[in-house]
Parts: sequence; structure tokens; C-alpha cells
Amino acid sequence: MSVREMMTRYTINLLIMLAFCYPSMVSAENYPMVVVNPTINAKAFLPKTTLSAIFGMRLRKWQDGSPIKVFVLPDQNSLHIAFSKHVLRVFPHQLRSAWDRLVFSGTGEEPIRVKTEQEMRTVVSSTPGAIGYLSPEMIDDTVKVFPSE
Amino acid sequence: MFAFMEKNSSDKAIIMSSESISHGSGMTILVVATKMPGWVWFGIFLIIFFCWQLPEQARAIELSDDIQVHGFLTQGYFLTSENRVFGTSDSGGSFDLTEAGLNASWSPVTDLRLAGQVLFRRAGAGHEHDVELDFGLLDYTILSTADYRFGARLGRFKLPFGFYNDTRDVLFTKPTILLPQSIYFERTRELALSGDGGLLYGEYRGAGKNISLEFGMGIPRGDSLDSELGLLGSDYPGETQSKLSYIGRLGYDLEGGKYRMAISSMWVDTRYDPKFLPPGDLPPLKLIFKPVIFSAQYNIDKFSLTSEYAIRPFEQTNLNNQSSRNIIGESYYLQAQYRINEDWEAIARYDVLHKNRQDKKGAKYRTTTGYPAHSQFAQDWTFGLRYYLNSSFLIAAEYHYVNGTAWLPLQDNPDLNDSAQRWHLFSLAASYRF
Repeated sequence: MSVREMMTRYTINLLIMLAFCYPSMVSAENYPMVVVNPTINAKAFLPKTTLSAIFGMRLRKWQDGSPIKVFVLPDQNSLHIAFSKHVLRVFPHQLRSAWDRLVFSGTGEEPIRVKTEQEMRTVVSSTPGAIGYLSPEMIDDTVKVFPSE
Repeated sequence: MFAFMEKNSSDKAIIMSSESISHGSGMTILVVATKMPGWVWFGIFLIIFFCWQLPEQARAIELSDDIQVHGFLTQGYFLTSENRVFGTSDSGGSFDLTEAGLNASWSPVTDLRLAGQVLFRRAGAGHEHDVELDFGLLDYTILSTADYRFGARLGRFKLPFGFYNDTRDVLFTKPTILLPQSIYFERTRELALSGDGGLLYGEYRGAGKNISLEFGMGIPRGDSLDSELGLLGSDYPGETQSKLSYIGRLGYDLEGGKYRMAISSMWVDTRYDPKFLPPGDLPPLKLIFKPVIFSAQYNIDKFSLTSEYAIRPFEQTNLNNQSSRNIIGESYYLQAQYRINEDWEAIARYDVLHKNRQDKKGAKYRTTTGYPAHSQFAQDWTFGLRYYLNSSFLIAAEYHYVNGTAWLPLQDNPDLNDSAQRWHLFSLAASYRF
């Protein structure tokens, strides 16, 4: 193989590698997105403090007074970990500690756990007041996306 | 009276042969069950563990949209070189710690929530079959906006102090099997658990920060034998009784919980009502306990550093002649947790307790009472490891090297002269939650 052919092969390999790395390099586009039930009538975006308060189970109702139903995936689920770290910007263990403190002290409740993203989408689209999160490719028109800051 | 109130008895110990005062535990069904030895409970636990398909993602049981049910079961094993913790741990080890809880939370309408938790506990001498209502409350949200929350709780509420008191019986919510004893005494646990009355709470959320305040008034549960022993040093003929007391906690979280701080304080009033006149009994006493606890925690992905410091002033007044005595105790600990990976966690802690700041080594106490000086302090070096099989099962192990006997459970160790100053403790516990 000539040097030129090797260089071409090298470059192609590099580009292929970058193509795979690209999603994580520009990972913001692939971050989980907050989704809500389509009937929710709220502001155009949820500031991070409000999102934290909702998923931290401290803010329990929407502006119109209807209850917020929070759904999450299991603690070990990679989408949940990504949501916690990149969207809420807390570590999953902190979220779990906060929920456990609420539940076992009687001062609050924890979110409802669903097993899969399909289940998440089904339950958010069919439950009034629901909020959850999904990976971008799982989103369809049965749920409303909430952009966050 | 949350274990902070440790009275140094200067009278001769008249330990009556214990018939522990039973508190609300008159359920015969459970009495039968609790006659089973500790290893049988451990066996039951193993059966649940192995035969039942381990629910990988055990959900809270939801009876309907508005009700959530949770619970836990913990079985512990204790081995001590000297002294006793939860049963006869100094001879072959003890399985005498079994704790189970069941709680429910129901929200019939948006701003209203009812919640309750029942605990069942076996915890060594005097606690062979405790069944208690841990909390039972009505929570009403008065105001709720994106930035503020304000509400009230009525009924029996968990006493909010420090970082760990409100969930002290659940292995998943505490760092080690035995909480730092200088602040979360096991020996006067009932006093510290919950109170009956009302509590107001408020919260403000700013950018990345969270300020919370709780203020409660109520009557703690200070009428148990443990409380009497902890406060007065012996089981006297009369009774201790809690009176209206106050508690508050201010919390400040920064950067979503990366930094957590809190100040807690309380004013706790307990009375001793004698049965006989002196010298066969103590005079009527008023015991006021008003500690302040400072708490701080630093959390990053793999590492958490926690420290709490408490000043524990204690005032005892003889109601016959209004003479009073004051003792100020001091406690603190420094704790480091390392999350090795998502399943394993290691912990190390140094915990110090002094019952009397002016008599840290207990020399004055020994001179006055003749009892061991080492009953006035405790330094505890703890090393532990825990393993999460999944989000519902946890196994924890820890080792303590302790110098001092200030926090030994009194019903397990009725004769202080029989205790050893330096001792080792090993504990293993398994816990399940849903």
C-alpha cells in the first residue's frame, strides 16, 4: 500500500470514529428531554430550579393548581443517570437520598417508577399532570416536550 | 432529651430488675412472633432474599393513584469484645436487632396528605417486641409556588434535627448501621424519634440554592425506661414524662446539594414525678435540654464529607427547693464516604462524645460518684463497607474501635462497673426496602 493510500484509509477510519463519537461530543443534543402530558398548560420553559423542585418532589402542583405526577426510570438506568447529571445537574445518589428522606420521614413521596422508556411515554401521555423524561428519539406527538434552560 | 440529655447520676445505682415498661406493644400476635430468637429472623430474611425473585426494580406499592406504600426490613448482627450492644453481643454475637417498618402516604386532594409509619423493633434488652407509631400526620400545604412553599404538619412528626434523625431507623438512609452515637444516641432513642403536636415548614428556592425552615412544638416520647435511665442514671420508682417542647431546623443547600448546611436546636422539657419521698426516691425534677447542632456536608460524584457538631446544655432543677445544676456536653464527628462504584461504598468516621465539657476525661465524675471515668466520654473510630445488590437490597458491615462507654445502651449494660473502657464492635446487617 502506498503512503497515500494509507493516509486515506487512516483518514476514513478517523472520520468513522468521529462519527461514532460525535453524538457524545455534542451530547447536549442527545440529552434526555423533559416531557409532559399534552394537556398541561404551563410556561414555555421550565427553569432549572423549578425542574429540580419538581423532580425533587418538593413542588407538587402546576400553576393552575393541578397535581404534578412525576415519573422516573430506575436508578441504574443510563437515561435516568444522564437526566440526573446533565439536566437536573445532581448526582443520582443525591436524588435517591432526597427521595428516601421524604418517604421515610413522612414529609413527602417519591416519584412513580416505570421500567422502560416505552412505559414512560405511555404513562406520561395518558396521565393528566404527568412529567417525565425521554431520549430524543423516543419522543413522538403523544407527549409535549419542555425545553429547559 | 434526645439522648443528649444524659444525666450524670450521683446517687447509688438502684437498678431494679427489669420489667421493661411496655409502650403500646400489647399485641399478642406479635408477642408470639417476637419470642423467636434472632437467628430465626435472620433465616426468614434469607428466605425472602433467595426464594423470592429479587425484584430488580421494586416499585413502591401503589394501591391507587393517590396512595403510596413503602417499607423496610433490617436484620443486624453484633459482636463486641466487651460490653453489650443489642443483646449479648459479647458472648458469641447477637442477632437481636431486627427492624421493620411500613408506611403509607395518601393524598386525597391536592394540598392535603396523610402519612403514617409503623415500626416493629427488636433491639436487645428491654426492646424485645416494640411496636410503635413512628409518625402519623396530616400535611397541609398552605402555599406552593415555583419559588416558595409553606405548610403545616399536625399529629406525630419525626423530630427534625441534624442530617440523619428523621430517618434514623432505615439502613438505606443512614451512613452506617450505628449512627454516630455522640449525636444520635441509641440509648435514648424514643426521646429523639418523634413528637406529638404541630410543625410549620417553609422553603425558598433560588438559583441552585434551597433554604428550608422547620419549627415544631409538641410532646416528645420521653416516658420510657430508656429515657429514665438515660436522664437519671437509674430506674427510680417514679416516672419521667415529657412536656411541651420546641424544635427547629434551618437548612441551606447550595449548588443543588453539593454543599449542605443545617443548624438545629431544641428546647426539651422533661419532668420526673417521684413515687415516694426522699431518700427512697428522687425529688420532683424538671430537666431542660437545649442543644444546638451544626451540620455540614460536601457531596461530589464519588465522595461525601460530613461533619456535625453539637453543644448539649442540660439543666436539672429540683422543684422542691428550686436548686439547679447545669452540665454542658459536647459531641462531634467527621465522616468520609467513598462510592467505589454504583454497588460498593466505603466509609470512615471519627466520632467524639463528652458528657461534660468541664470534665472531659471523667476524672471529676469518678471522684464524686465512684463510677468509671470512662462512662463520661467515647471516641469511636468506625470503618465500614456496604454493598447494594440492587436498589432494594443492601448488605453493610462495619468495625468500631471505641475508647469510652458514654453511649452504651443502659438496659443491655445495667452495671457500669462491669463495662470495659476500650472495646471493639463488629456489625453486619442486611436490609430490604420497597
